[in-house]
Amino acid sequence: MKFDRRLFAEFDWTLLILVLLISCIGLLNIYSTGFMGDFLQNLYLRQAQWIAIGLVFMVAAFSVDYRLVGRRAYIIYGISVLLLLAVFLFGYATRGSQRWILLGGFSFQPSELMKLTVILALAKYFEDHRAGGNGYRLRELVVPALIALVPFLLILKQPDLGTALIIAFIFVSMVFFVGIEKKSLLIAATGGLVFLPIGWFLLRDYQKERIMTLFRPEQDPLGSGYHIIQSMIAVGSGGIFGKGFLKGTQTQLKFLPEQQTDFVFSVFAEEWGFFGCLLLLTMFLALVLWGLKISLHSRNLLGTLISYGITILIFWEVVINIGMVLGLLPVVGIPLPFLSYGGSAMVVLMTAVGLLMNVSMRRFLFQP
Amino acid sequence: MAEIHGRIDDHDPAPFRERFRIIFVIIAIAMAVLVIRLWYLQIIRGDELRQRSENNSVRLRKIHPARGLIKDRYGTVLVDNQPAFDLIFVPNRTREAGEVIRKLATLYGEQSLSLAVDPATINKSSYAAPLRLEKAITMEKLAIVETHSLELPGVLVDVAPIRQYLRGASLAHLIGYMGEINQDELAADAYTGASAGDDVGKAGIEKYLDAYLRGRNGAEQVEVNALGRATKVLGQIAPVPGYNVVLTIDAELQQVAVDALGDRAGAVVVMDTRTGEILALASSPSFDPNLFNGGISHEEWNKLAQNARHPMENRAISGQYPPGSTYKPVVAAAALQEGLITPETKVLCTGGYTLGSRTYRCWQKRGHGTVNLHRALVESCDVYFYTLGKLVGVDRLAWYAGRCGLGAPTGVDLPREKGGLVPTKTWKLAKCKEPWQIGETISTSIGQGFNLVTPLQLARTYSALANGGVLWRPRIIKALETPDGRVFKMFAPEKTGVLPVSPQVLETVRHGLWGVVNERGGTGYALKRKEQDVCGKTGTSQVFGLPQNERARRATRITRRLQDHALFACFAPCKNPEIAVAVIAEHAGHGGAAAAPVARKIIDAYFARKKAAPMVAAAQGAGR
Repeated sequence: MKFDRRLFAEFDWTLLILVLLISCIGLLNIYSTGFMGDFLQNLYLRQAQWIAIGLVFMVAAFSVDYRLVGRRAYIIYGISVLLLLAVFLFGYATRGSQRWILLGGFSFQPSELMKLTVILALAKYFEDHRAGGNGYRLRELVVPALIALVPFLLILKQPDLGTALIIAFIFVSMVFFVGIEKKSLLIAATGGLVFLPIGWFLLRDYQKERIMTLFRPEQDPLGSGYHIIQSMIAVGSGGIFGKGFLKGTQTQLKFLPEQQTDFVFSVFAEEWGFFGCLLLLTMFLALVLWGLKISLHSRNLLGTLISYGITILIFWEVVINIGMVLGLLPVVGIPLPFLSYGGSAMVVLMTAVGLLMNVSMRRFLFQP
Repeated sequence: MAEIHGRIDDHDPAPFRERFRIIFVIIAIAMAVLVIRLWYLQIIRGDELRQRSENNSVRLRKIHPARGLIKDRYGTVLVDNQPAFDLIFVPNRTREAGEVIRKLATLYGEQSLSLAVDPATINKSSYAAPLRLEKAITMEKLAIVETHSLELPGVLVDVAPIRQYLRGASLAHLIGYMGEINQDELAADAYTGASAGDDVGKAGIEKYLDAYLRGRNGAEQVEVNALGRATKVLGQIAPVPGYNVVLTIDAELQQVAVDALGDRAGAVVVMDTRTGEILALASSPSFDPNLFNGGISHEEWNKLAQNARHPMENRAISGQYPPGSTYKPVVAAAALQEGLITPETKVLCTGGYTLGSRTYRCWQKRGHGTVNLHRALVESCDVYFYTLGKLVGVDRLAWYAGRCGLGAPTGVDLPREKGGLVPTKTWKLAKCKEPWQIGETISTSIGQGFNLVTPLQLARTYSALANGGVLWRPRIIKALETPDGRVFKMFAPEKTGVLPVSPQVLETVRHGLWGVVNERGGTGYALKRKEQDVCGKTGTSQVFGLPQNERARRATRITRRLQDHALFACFAPCKNPEIAVAVIAEHAGHGGAAAAPVARKIIDAYFARKKAAPMVAAAQGAGR
């Protein structure tokens, strides 16, 4: 590839700074949860490592033209699916669900990677198969539906309801974005409504319980209501200005389960209060709007779709995770981007941000 | 750039602008909802929630439910709960587990600290799940902890009832014992509702009916002070007690069986021939299930697990023994039913049976002379049955044995039942990669060789001989009761098969079994009661193949481990039978001498009880 000086000129510093800021907040926050000692002591250091590794991946992700990446989207997708299958064959389980494989000495969660590769594969498909004037018809959506359904089912089987749902959200959001014919939309919507009650029966008991718990957390404070109650107490006790860094009592006394992963926002909310949360939400909002701006300004459908997909992924993860921590949504395992502890998620997110930058800095390159 | 085929400005942005607008609206709404919720939680309810979190105040405490009682068929309580105290430690930034444990050890002084947790794992636990330091502590320790509570911040006393096995070792195998739930159990569906640190049934009825006995944990939201002690209860969910279990066991008869067995290793099964209910199921040697309360110590566990006499094994259902002569009624029934012999078919016994180059001995080395089927059963003539076995053939015999309930688990409601073994030609070929030898048919026909039965199978087969041919599923569980004593579920008799023989054949065999006990020369003469109402069969099963040569036989010194097992299987009364009894005494010698007296004590006790308490008998009758 020929080196183009303009690549540097158009580098998206805003995006980089925004992501680094949010990641740093996440790091401080994990430092706070790990304050207690024992093996969590080094957790923030490990998260810092993951951020560093993520940055390397980010550079790699914006160095190669995204259209070259797009060309290999199906291959990348295929590899991700194979990795998901590998989870069943060689994976190991923690807390009842099998999500991890060992890859070169690191434990790795292929379902995290899958979120990104589904976006790539869908973008590639819609790029290759343009819609007619009224949008896509149902028949034309069979292949994209399969692209999402295969990883969806594999991840559901692990079981990891949260990640599976995110895949579904990505699919629906992207189909909505590329446009769907009115009649097809109606049929799909009706079909969805019919499937919903069937889907309920397919859920595991503990998953049903989590959904029911949402409506009556106080009835089962020991079991599935525990997370929600403790998390709401933590968030609420933060008040307007918060208890201060390292001063969250819910956090420091470790009432909160999963406080370094899925419930990390409650730690933040307890220590930084309403204003802190507002600030963090604003940063996420800025990130999402910035992503949409990149999408809007791409002159190439592939670029538009990739950047839109990544942005909407971050958006849904933020909304669902915080909604869950605030007791608005059922407890499903979805991490909070850049804040939750987790190597796979961090590296994949950084790679995704790299792709965003990729689209962003090449937006003018094709102009005459 | 030429290799990149992406088109420039390749799409019409107009419809996308429209959709972007919709997405902006969705994003705005979602963010607004989150902000409003934050405002509600942190500002409107902020003070209230802050109070709840202040000084680590709100904590969840598990309330243990009362585990279901276990009773015998007449309502006598066999297993009860008693309050006990566990020592809990809640870690915190300023309290370290290791320090607290050292402190406890100094405070205890003479009393030794028996940690329920592995000290190596204590500091690894990631968040403040309370640690159960010690289980079921003594009153002395409790007093020490309570008086020094200020020096032991974060150490709490938790009331956790433990099991009290009122009959101790007598019912240990049957009822089982408790232990802390392990990782595999936590993951299993059968233990939904149990959580880490709970005790669950590990064997016997405690395990088999754990889901019913367990009940459901309750919870308490309590406010605690800086020392971690509860100051106020904010909310409570009452625990749900477990179901009571009523067994078919007659605790008094069980005790008679246990006493009759005494020190000998062995097993006794007493079955109601009319329903399949198990009245007694004893296995010896036994252990004290109360040892497991509060976590058994390593030493004690090793003492039990590595004991050469295997006290933990329930021999009544998982001990497998060669049936010896107790197998003969099955052989006789098969030969009669197949029409190969009549009751009057006679065989001359000279003390041995020669086949090819080998002579198979009769236990009576003088020989029994000319005997018919009845005398052959009464005197347990081996040569007669060698002849029958050869006539019937091993596979046909196996078919009959299978239909008589041997060679497969009976389906009793207890875990870890074994199925015994009925050999066939194909089995041997698959197992040993060698064809069946005719000589093996000969040993099979007197219940030696490969044959294996469990005491429970034996009792069930004799029960079927007694009751006209019905094979019942042996049952230990009579009913489940709700905690307030109402019957929740009653278990009915279950017919699982019928003996494949005609009533005439059955009558002939039964008459033979009557003779064994009540006719002069019968091998079970020791059991003759004045009512002459017991039918049975002795058995002596070889553990060790002794040299057939008499001189060599004498010269062989037999250690106790290699002595024969003594068996006795019987039923009573002869007419309208009520109970079947199977007794196995390991390495005790001859069945008539060692096992029959055990059965006699049980039968005497059964009828004495029936006579003494007609009310009880009536209740028993009504119960089935």
